[in-house]
Amino acid sequence: MIQVRNVTKRFGAKTAVNNLTFDVQPGVVTGFLGPNGAGKTTTLRTIVGLVRPEVGSVTVNGTKYHDLPAPMHEVGALLEAKAYHPGRRARDHLLALAQASRIPRRRVEEVLGLVGLSDAAKRKAGTFSLGMAQRLGIATALLGDPPVLLLDEPVNGLDPEGILWVRKLMQALAAEGRTVLVSSHLMSEMALTATHVIVIGRGRLIADSTIDELVRTSSGSRVRLRTPMADAVLPRLQAAGGTVQPGDDGAILVSGLEPKAVGDIAFEAQVPVYELTRLEASLEQAFMELTQEESEFRGQGSEGAQEGHGALPSSGPLPSNGGEAPAAQQGWPAPVPAQGWPAGQQGGAPGAPSQGWPAGQQGWSGPA
Amino acid sequence: MSAPAHALSGPSGAAASRAANPVPVMTDTLRSEWTKMRTLRSTKVTLAITAFLVIGLSALITWASVSSPHHGTQAITNPVGVIQSGWGLGWLAFEVLGVLVVTNEYSSGMIASTFLATPKRVRVLAAKAAVLSVVVGLVSLVMTFVNFYVGHAVLSAYPAFPDPALGANNVLRAVLGMALTSTLMALIGFALGAIVRHTAGGITASVAVLFVLPLVLQALPTSWRNPVEEYWPTQAGSQLEQVTRQAHALTAWWGTGDLALFVALLLVAAGYLVTRRDA
Ligand SMILES: Nc1ncnc2c1ncn2[C@@H]1O[C@H](COP(=O)(O)OP(=O)(O)OP(=O)(O)O)[C@@H](O)[C@H]1O
Ligand SMILES: [Mg+2]
Repeated sequence: MIQVRNVTKRFGAKTAVNNLTFDVQPGVVTGFLGPNGAGKTTTLRTIVGLVRPEVGSVTVNGTKYHDLPAPMHEVGALLEAKAYHPGRRARDHLLALAQASRIPRRRVEEVLGLVGLSDAAKRKAGTFSLGMAQRLGIATALLGDPPVLLLDEPVNGLDPEGILWVRKLMQALAAEGRTVLVSSHLMSEMALTATHVIVIGRGRLIADSTIDELVRTSSGSRVRLRTPMADAVLPRLQAAGGTVQPGDDGAILVSGLEPKAVGDIAFEAQVPVYELTRLEASLEQAFMELTQEESEFRGQGSEGAQEGHGALPSSGPLPSNGGEAPAAQQGWPAPVPAQGWPAGQQGGAPGAPSQGWPAGQQGWSGPA
Repeated sequence: MSAPAHALSGPSGAAASRAANPVPVMTDTLRSEWTKMRTLRSTKVTLAITAFLVIGLSALITWASVSSPHHGTQAITNPVGVIQSGWGLGWLAFEVLGVLVVTNEYSSGMIASTFLATPKRVRVLAAKAAVLSVVVGLVSLVMTFVNFYVGHAVLSAYPAFPDPALGANNVLRAVLGMALTSTLMALIGFALGAIVRHTAGGITASVAVLFVLPLVLQALPTSWRNPVEEYWPTQAGSQLEQVTRQAHALTAWWGTGDLALFVALLLVAAGYLVTRRDA
């Protein structure tokens, strides 16, 4: 369990982390998301005492990192890929850290095997590729077999096999009851790996919820209604606060209303319903929506892609979309379903039964 | 790739397992720092080159002094000084080694791993300084004896010149003292490296302390220069190698104390800054 309390960290005039408070619970993988420069790395470095916040405190299992009697046995961290001397052999690097933490030498061989670096253990770490460097960093984090893991973009530079391996590793670690906090920019990867997410932007907390909840409340989520008498329900849907767009194949897409409400309205209007499907936004869409105003560094052109979204709620945890800004939502560049859902998303996060992607999603692959 | 959970211990309730964790102490930090020192080839290469250059250069200068007649007089008045004439270079090399011991961790990113394993930063600095001192102390101890006997051999080939015996007045002190002064020089580099956190900056500062500032002092009027020069730490420390007391200089042990005090102050400053700053 990690507790971050009112942490503020400034670098000169720049406030990297701004009054940030959150908890990270054991037993699940928690994704730590935010645009470039949002303060993720700074926060992670604060947790392990490498960076000292001006205000606030951080504890790991109730104790400040600095005061942990055996830190590597309590927290394992991968902060930057290359936290080693390039001239030192991988095995010697791990040995030095093991000795500093009173970890037996055989554990070095164990973690080398675990990350697949046994054969490269005699090589100087400076000759490692980015992916190998990440593996060495993960080996370092696992050295003390800690109940808390902090991983800053662990899949950065890994090959597909490596990404799959890290995903399974993190889930296995969480399933054992460990606390796993992992930052990433790969939303599709996070959707597969994490159960819970903490989203920050410009150093502030934007969202702290399950992925499920985040995605459901995103304005990208909508309901597809297929009926031969669309004209009869349209005004009622709009009157109820829904925003309606024509979908493919004669269906209509309603945002701002739950499937239940749409179904009730259709019933009241006495129109036949051929299909009523909840279309979840992807985590990526939900993320973009949450962070678009908080993003510091945005390429030219991405502004255009987000056109019409300026009025979206962007601060405060988890904006609810109860029609707060319906007009703005008409600007979606393309019908959402056309973008397709990340293939793996149906698998949800294994080992997290409560997650369960809504049944409606299954209907998607059908009629389109 | 092996199965992910293979080498993991299984469920570990955070608080429950804490009691069973072995708590690392200073000896563990020392062991770790020794491993770091011995597993970098650059350390060994630097030490080997230093030994070779210092002994070689000293021998060359000694030989040049006695084989060319008008330099001979110096060899007569201060034969030990002539034998040890290559050590200015050695001190600089040890300072650089001291700088590198810390700055290579900052420039590579290793420092993060180090402080994750041992968040008590003063302990890390103390262990690093201890390992550096032992290594430089032992290497320079061997070097200084080899250097003395090589110089001795060169001088004895020229019977016209006095040949200092180890048992003669203050000669052993000068020979042994070289190891102590070298160690203190390495610690100057170490502390400056920790303060500056930058290899180039640390080396520049070391050169300044050892060579440049003493040279600048030459520009001062004598009335100012003498007292400053007397107490300037690296000048004062080098009195330990003087067989006879120099004019306008501290005695051997007061001078060494002066240097040691300077080192201690630098180390305290380094410890303060390293603990205060973000890593
Ligand atoms: N040592 C430092 N000195 C000055 N500014 C810093 C320092 N470290 C971070 N910053 C600034 O703090 C802000 C947050 O940086 P941080 O690295 O925490 O972001 P991040 O969320 O990890 O970004 P990314 O996704 O690009 O990794 C940035 O504006 C960065 O420039
Ligand atoms: Mg980062």
